[in-house]
Amino acid sequence: MTLAGRKRLLLMILLCLFLGGLLLSLLIGPVQTSARDLGNFLFNHDKTFSTIFLDLRLSRAALAFLVGASLGLAGAILQGYFQNSMADPFVVGVSSGASFGAVLCLTLGLNVSLFGFSGQSFFSFASGFAIVYLVYLLSQKKGVFKVETLLLTGIAAGALTSSLTTFLLFLRSDSYEQAVFWLLGSFSLAEWKQVGMVGLYFCISLALAQSLAKDMNLLVLGDEIAQSLGCPVRRVRKIFLVVSTLLAAASVSVSGIIGFVGLVVPHWIRILIGPDHRRLFLYSALAGGVFLVYSDLLARVVLFPTELPIGIITAAIGAPFFIYLLNQRR
Amino acid sequence: MSTPDSRRSRSSPRPTEMKTRAALFFFALSMLSSPVQVGQNRALKDDLGYSFQMSSPPQRIVSLAPNITEILFALDLGNKVVGVTRFCDYPPQALLKEKVGGMVDPSLEKIKFLNPDLIIAFRGNPIRMLTRLKSLGFPVFIFETGSDLESLFLMIERVGLLTQKTTEAHSLVTALRQRSEAIQAVLQSVTLRPRVFLSLHGLGLWTCGKESYLNDLIRKAKGENVAGAIPKKWLRYNREQLVRDNPDVIIVLAKSQADYQTARDWLVKEADLRDLKAVRRGEIRFLDENLASRYGPRLVEALGQLAGLLHSRHIGEER
Repeated sequence: MTLAGRKRLLLMILLCLFLGGLLLSLLIGPVQTSARDLGNFLFNHDKTFSTIFLDLRLSRAALAFLVGASLGLAGAILQGYFQNSMADPFVVGVSSGASFGAVLCLTLGLNVSLFGFSGQSFFSFASGFAIVYLVYLLSQKKGVFKVETLLLTGIAAGALTSSLTTFLLFLRSDSYEQAVFWLLGSFSLAEWKQVGMVGLYFCISLALAQSLAKDMNLLVLGDEIAQSLGCPVRRVRKIFLVVSTLLAAASVSVSGIIGFVGLVVPHWIRILIGPDHRRLFLYSALAGGVFLVYSDLLARVVLFPTELPIGIITAAIGAPFFIYLLNQRR
Repeated sequence: MSTPDSRRSRSSPRPTEMKTRAALFFFALSMLSSPVQVGQNRALKDDLGYSFQMSSPPQRIVSLAPNITEILFALDLGNKVVGVTRFCDYPPQALLKEKVGGMVDPSLEKIKFLNPDLIIAFRGNPIRMLTRLKSLGFPVFIFETGSDLESLFLMIERVGLLTQKTTEAHSLVTALRQRSEAIQAVLQSVTLRPRVFLSLHGLGLWTCGKESYLNDLIRKAKGENVAGAIPKKWLRYNREQLVRDNPDVIIVLAKSQADYQTARDWLVKEADLRDLKAVRRGEIRFLDENLASRYGPRLVEALGQLAGLLHSRHIGEER
């Protein structure tokens, strides 16, 4: 099959999966609902069902999709940025950093909000950025990234911030639920406000990433070659670092740490449609969203009626994949 | 309709000493619950300081904790309760109610489906969850655990105020208080307070500190909690400290006799604990967790059991 054909097929499949996932998300829940209830709600506007379908289930599916898309995109960016396919917001430590910032903000009680840009997202962003910058400084030597150093610094930074987060949560009284949320992720309390916030960051980031996708293709060749081919390397790198952190921080501040999405998804997409970032970004985002919608469905049904933290599902799928990749490299 | 205040003032006369206590009690009530001029705008503040607007008596109540469920049933509101948690097993009728989930993870859509006009939450319910419930437009009232029986009575009165069952709440509290005083009266002549270590789960050394209502129960049952000076509600006790304290009695809070046996066997096997006075003498006693770990009306029953466990001989003589 030609590349164009494969792309079209992949797009079709992703869209079908997306619609299917959306429908399942609307129909599955602790309150038994049938397709007829959904129809009833659509045509008769039952108020209770409108809250259940729109405010609880649809907002949740939408948030899962957007967070998945953000993480998929962030993963694709970081993998290009660090020139290796093992990078992702979780592995590099951005997610843990962002979650630390959010919890720090909560602990300090700085819950102010400006135009939907809450103090929490600011803290998330700042500490996520600090971590990714630290990893960047430590893992490169003269513009070359050593995979081992990158992974190890990322893991160390992640472990450090996670332990700091746990420490802060330990100081708080309602720590159990909070710890599960911040360290393993959950969409159980999704609301439209969050969908709007993540959606906004996602759209801005996708537009920026897409407009610089060509430069990312050059960066993969090495900074010097990219520079000689007319790519403003330093500026582009800065923008990508900010964008990926923004995506991860926005995701974390609404859903906690959800690992491995950004690792697995861009990888699959690269295998299917090749390494051109002009397509990779968009498709990774779409596939990441679909992946999380289904992961969230699984999290809801595996131990029904109890919900699993979604991070358990994504780790169960992503971690073996991570090991497989490590093995491949040898 | 009469306001809670006017109902309250009707519920005299009582003996003088009761009156002073009642006056103090209602002073405390007004301080803590601060019903901002009840009767005019009926605004209450819950235990986390959120204001709460009261309207007509609630008809569909969701309880988010077992102790709240017990209080609601004790106030004869069983028929108004539409949803409970999966831990709400007392009274048995509560088992028949729709389950909304656990205490930490109640399902928002289950609650929405039940469409309550009052949700009563308790500490342990995640604040983020409660905030989300409020944002969906539900009236949520949050209670905190108190540190003694008196604050439990206050809470029951406040549940009465909230559900407009003040008379029932008041008579329940009066009955509970009388029962508690009767138990303490039996123990009046007890002079020797056994030193008690209360083990919350049997295994591990989780216990209750100074700020826990169980500490108050131990005190009222004429015992001395070895962890009673530590300014915490619940804590993991230090093993070395326990060996040094060498308590006379170990009370094991357990779900069942089998769990109690497991805890007992564990204590006997642990090298550093089996030489404790209580373990050597076999003074390891079983207290039903279902009674004692719920900040509800049956706590007074737990007090009776505790008194029996600590002073069985004494109470036997009285009888």
